[in-house]
Amino acid sequence: MGRKKKKQLKPWCWYCNRDFDDEKILIQHQKAKHFKCHICHKKLYTGPGLAIHCMQVHKETIDAVPNAIPGRTDIELEIYGMEGIPEKDMDERRRLLEQKTQESQKKKQQDDSDEYDDDDSAASTSFQPQPVQPQQGYIPPMAQPGLPPVPGAPGMPPGIPPLMPGVPPLMPGMPPVMPGMPPGLHHQRKYTQSFCGENIMMPMGGMMPPGPGIPPLMPGMPPGMPPPVPRPGIPPMTQAQAVSAPGILNRPPAPTATVPAPQPPVTKPLFPSAGQAQAAVQGPVGTDFKPLNSTPATSTEPPKPTFPAYTQSTASTTSTTNSTAAKPAASITSKPATLTTTSATSKLIHPDEDISLEERRAQLPKYQRNLPRPGQAPIGNPPVGPIGGMMPPQPGIPQQQGMRPPMPPHGQYGGHHQGMPGYLPGAMPPYGQGPPMVPPYQGGPPRPPMGMRPPVMSQGGRY
Amino acid sequence: MTGSNEFKLNQPPEDGISSVKFSPNTSQFLLVSSWDTSVRLYDVPANSMRLKYQHTGAVLDCAFYDPTHAWSGGLDHQLKMHDLNTDQENLVGTHDAPIRCVEYCPEVNVMATGSWDQTVKLWDPRTPCNAGTFSQPEKVYTLSVSGDRLIVGTAGRRVLVWDLRNMGYVQQRRESSLKYQTRCIRAFLNKQGYVLSSIEGRVAVEYLDPSPEVQKKKYAFKCHRLKENNIEQIYPVNAISFHNIHNTFATGGSDGFVNIWDPFNKKRLCQFHRYPTSIASLAFSNDGTTLAIASSYMYEMDDTEHPEDGIFIRQVTDAETKPKSPCT
Repeated sequence: MGRKKKKQLKPWCWYCNRDFDDEKILIQHQKAKHFKCHICHKKLYTGPGLAIHCMQVHKETIDAVPNAIPGRTDIELEIYGMEGIPEKDMDERRRLLEQKTQESQKKKQQDDSDEYDDDDSAASTSFQPQPVQPQQGYIPPMAQPGLPPVPGAPGMPPGIPPLMPGVPPLMPGMPPVMPGMPPGLHHQRKYTQSFCGENIMMPMGGMMPPGPGIPPLMPGMPPGMPPPVPRPGIPPMTQAQAVSAPGILNRPPAPTATVPAPQPPVTKPLFPSAGQAQAAVQGPVGTDFKPLNSTPATSTEPPKPTFPAYTQSTASTTSTTNSTAAKPAASITSKPATLTTTSATSKLIHPDEDISLEERRAQLPKYQRNLPRPGQAPIGNPPVGPIGGMMPPQPGIPQQQGMRPPMPPHGQYGGHHQGMPGYLPGAMPPYGQGPPMVPPYQGGPPRPPMGMRPPVMSQGGRY
Repeated sequence: MTGSNEFKLNQPPEDGISSVKFSPNTSQFLLVSSWDTSVRLYDVPANSMRLKYQHTGAVLDCAFYDPTHAWSGGLDHQLKMHDLNTDQENLVGTHDAPIRCVEYCPEVNVMATGSWDQTVKLWDPRTPCNAGTFSQPEKVYTLSVSGDRLIVGTAGRRVLVWDLRNMGYVQQRRESSLKYQTRCIRAFLNKQGYVLSSIEGRVAVEYLDPSPEVQKKKYAFKCHRLKENNIEQIYPVNAISFHNIHNTFATGGSDGFVNIWDPFNKKRLCQFHRYPTSIASLAFSNDGTTLAIASSYMYEMDDTEHPEDGIFIRQVTDAETKPKSPCT
């Protein structure tokens, strides 16, 4: 963004109206999405360049720029990054953005939830939630298959399919209107989410930008209305909007009807394939990425709603100093959070609780036997001499349970945790060994961590 | 079921396999830890079990300190060192909860263990004795050594990077860029970063250098997902192993597939045939010629009938593991 006025805004792609942080990234995007040969995947530099390549190398003609929105498919316009964009389109864009900023200010007060979404823009190379081809290679950062392939409104990934029925009638008539939505998925996301959230205001906002600039288009909208109308939830909204519309838009209620259309359905399929999880975790989702780039240290809080276990562990984490009895016991006894899974189209093959597979398996009764009990000597195998005598094999276990003084109930880890207090100093009167930390030992002589040496020697009845 | 380049090990453990590790200097020996409480050493070319020793609870991880010493830990909270030549056992220490990971750091010559007691303990392998206990914010699920650093993956999707030469403070506190529970972390051999996998069929490639230019390069991708009847089944990615020479890595998931990925060109190089059940652990031999694949049901869907657990040894070729020339 070294230019003066000409750009003024963040770099954006003329072909699909997406926003980018950086012109370099914009160019990479264009090369990968618009100037890439569909036959040999060679990336060219410009539209005409691509056309010439296809003609010369593959003897094929192309007449439209791939992945471009209608109206922006001109293969002959030489556009590279931000250069070559016709002035009038630049102006339109600027206007759009101005209106959008007005919108987002209004919105800011209303929309407090998720500004983040996993499908984080072109600029972010962090993560490809592509809905496609899991089996193929994975797609390089610049290609965001989920998004660009669809021009215009339908192109709005997951959240927008519902929008389509109501929107297409609008599109042909007003390509510039669409830009109000898709450009910079970020923005769009905000709108989308606010659709879900609340907003009657928002949708209006969506329509707003084109308004002033495209009065002739308005008439085009009514045709779009009927489809949305039947949708559940629309009628109420329509009315509400009709009420507020005049105040907001000084537009006929017509636009309002269309906009609400997407709202009800949007909530669910917001990110169907982009990790169904995201549908549930809209809030925390983005915060995973954002904090990573800024302050990792602050990222402990974000996953609040969906992963309560994390919250409680982060809370308790702050009080953790060293491994002590109290903490592990607390974590164990607290109920693990459950995973918020998926949508109807996907299924996470994992138990519901958010504990690791090994922890879950360890809880099975068959793995709980002959685990060390507090105060119990570590059971070695036969080579560990004397202990062999003390620790009768499996059958002896039930009896041990009865014996041991601090006999905690079967815990997750074989009761070891609950037993911890058992071998803190004082619990083992004869031996009050101070440090819970294991003193070095050379194996051989059975030296239980808790210094219960003599008992080990004496007999097994103790445990 | 397997081709001539692959065979199944004889005398496998009698229950699930938790970890497989090749000897550091030869592809001949493989150490295997199991839920049947045993740790076994196999002579791979001869396809026979050389040695076996026991814990009193399921063993969750094992590692070689050097070609003759195996370390292991598990549900019995005990960290054992076993001399493979003399068959002598040594109880080195314990944690307060099951030990989940055991790793060796050659640069600093220290063994590291991570446990569900939310600590990482370091051990001097020569004595052997405890060389410190370090609190983690959560239960430790995975550990990986990168040069002289230790990368710890815990519950709650936290990732901590410790400098093994200076354990007074955590060098980096991070959060996994994946939204689901961390399953496995393995460091790149070039020490620039690590690969992290989650239970939700996704793998992230992250860099250690915190500067923004480097952080921009990080990315994640979906994998180990199968579409059946319009429902996408998403599987945990349990295992990651790097190929020493090509810097490519293999991932194994609960879908029973093993994929080999080229992280620099961001491409998948290869996918093997489907194994009978979930892949619990993977290990490339140090010369990159052999991949040990532990196919072992991980109780993702509770205690149910499942195919037999087994360890498959596969001779891998360059075609499967070597990056193709980079595209533009």
